Amino acid sequence: MNRFRLSERGAERLSISVLLAPAVAVIVLLFLGGLASGFLRSLNYFPLIGLNDFNFDAYFAIFTDNGFLQSLVLTFHIAFTSTLIASILAVASALLLRPAFRGKRIVHFFFSLNLTIPHLVGAIGVLYLFQNSGLVSRIMTGLDIIQRPADFPAMVFDPWAIGIIIQYVWKEIPFIGVIVLAILLSVGEDYESVARSLGANRWQAFRQVTLPLIMPGVVSASVIVFAFTFGAFEIPYLLGRTFPAALPVLAYQSYTDVDLAARPQAMAMAMVIAFISTLLIMAYMKLSRVYIRE
Amino acid sequence: MTQVTLSGLTKIFDQKSPPAVDNLDLEIESGKLTALLGPSGCGKTTTMKMIAGLLRPTAGDILFDGDSILSIKPEERGAVMVFQNYLLFPYMNIADNIGFGLKMRKVNKKEIRSRVQDMLDLVQLPGFEDRKPNQLSGGQQQRIALARALIVQPNVLLLDEPLSNLDAHLRDEMRVLIRRIQTEMGITTVFVTHDQEEAVVLADKVALLFDGRLQQFDAPDSFYDTPNTVDIATFFGGTNFIPGYYLDGTITTDIGVFDAPNSLVPEGDAVLSIRPEAVDLGEGGENSVSGTVLSHVYAGRYARFQIRIGDIEIEAVTEPGQVKLFADGDNIPVKFDPDKIWVLGPNTAEQPAATTG
Repeated sequence: MNRFRLSERGAERLSISVLLAPAVAVIVLLFLGGLASGFLRSLNYFPLIGLNDFNFDAYFAIFTDNGFLQSLVLTFHIAFTSTLIASILAVASALLLRPAFRGKRIVHFFFSLNLTIPHLVGAIGVLYLFQNSGLVSRIMTGLDIIQRPADFPAMVFDPWAIGIIIQYVWKEIPFIGVIVLAILLSVGEDYESVARSLGANRWQAFRQVTLPLIMPGVVSASVIVFAFTFGAFEIPYLLGRTFPAALPVLAYQSYTDVDLAARPQAMAMAMVIAFISTLLIMAYMKLSRVYIRE
Repeated sequence: MTQVTLSGLTKIFDQKSPPAVDNLDLEIESGKLTALLGPSGCGKTTTMKMIAGLLRPTAGDILFDGDSILSIKPEERGAVMVFQNYLLFPYMNIADNIGFGLKMRKVNKKEIRSRVQDMLDLVQLPGFEDRKPNQLSGGQQQRIALARALIVQPNVLLLDEPLSNLDAHLRDEMRVLIRRIQTEMGITTVFVTHDQEEAVVLADKVALLFDGRLQQFDAPDSFYDTPNTVDIATFFGGTNFIPGYYLDGTITTDIGVFDAPNSLVPEGDAVLSIRPEAVDLGEGGENSVSGTVLSHVYAGRYARFQIRIGDIEIEAVTEPGQVKLFADGDNIPVKFDPDKIWVLGPNTAEQPAATTG
């Protein structure tokens, strides 16, 4: 009887493995395979172009290269600043959108509209608006706020990556905001009412009660945004400086370099990006698990 | 101690539907325990939220000790509300939950700690400081919610269905605890309930609301002995109704004419009400008619009879000794104690909600 049950369970397990096989194959071949071959190449193993010796030269090269370190700092700056600003503004907008008001559905529609607009379109929009010959610059010239369009402060291709950050903030506010709004609505206003009734003013009720309740959602949404902005290529490519460039741009430049010897370095950079993203996701999962346990 | 006056208090959520609270006048006595009683959706909780400042009235006024508090922010009213589902802050431990109100008032940590201890003793849960709300049972969470409200020494304590989420045993315990704390601290307390028994057992005075309108505001026993309307008597249950015509202390019905010296209604169509306990079986004379026993149930300390009189069926509850005397089908005299007959007006909607006492 017992044995029969075991074999039944074994059969079940087997059928689950068979059913999962196609999905697992895709993940193993495309994702892990790609990662593994990238990793091997970053270790200077690339027989196709005559590299056969394993070594850490590429890692050594990039971490001693001032340009790479500048790129790393710039990439952190872009990801951190845009995530922080987007998160704060998203929470603020979610709070504004929470109460019932006339025309709420229309406002809500416009709020989440740019979730559907591709990043590239947003980047071109930023370009048209904020470059020296852009719309904002020309309007300000027309209003005599600045003398000539050239006086407009550099906001694209600028050292502080302002244009990139504007684009990310614009794009990610509704992403975080929609998540936070859903959490706010499910938490309800009663906890805040309790706090107010016990003597908390509006700010205290928000700071001590609402914020801690929505924080897990804010954190999970913003980790996703951080990981994305850290590894995304197209926006810094379109709106950023060529030097220092954001890491994904630098990796791409190295990869497409005429010098094939730069390939292992490009792969090493990709590995660094992947490693940092993985670290972040693990930290996030750990944090959220701790929070749920509480 | 604070006296709370509601004056013409009205709340309209949606122009298309009737008001949630409709022109409510109520005088909640200082230091007393007052129940807001009514079926669900009658505006009890809405009234309470307006007192706490969590909802803005559409019209009318709320006064604490004679002064309007409508312009005072909820956190400054000193009217603390305890919600039905407790709503302890899930990410805080019990000590931080109880101490929340004091922390908001910037009381120093040492004092908060000692007053939290006092509160835990008061609600009989000492040693619970470091636990998290989800480690507590419903009854314990309820007590912590109460402690969290009491620690700020509110002028008015507002309890929303304080007993409804608890099982029968805990409910009795909680009832005793609330009564004891309320008496000791003398806080003006309002609690909302849909359970008339809970209201009667716990409250000094009961305000009965139907559809946002005050029906009767009285001492608990009045709702049984002298209800204002048939609806109220029906809500409290267990009464016999016999339609008739009232004139000068006498009500004439299809089954006979009865003296009803205590009644206050004007001449006209009326309803005789008499509680099953006030029906005396087997007694003749004044105010008695003849009836037939339809069925009976012996329930230990008493017996319950269904009696047919003419075309009307009534219920009577008796002392156990009398069970032997009547069998189903017996014809017996049935007497209505004139002092216990209460005559109600015919149409409940047109009767003004008198506030007596």
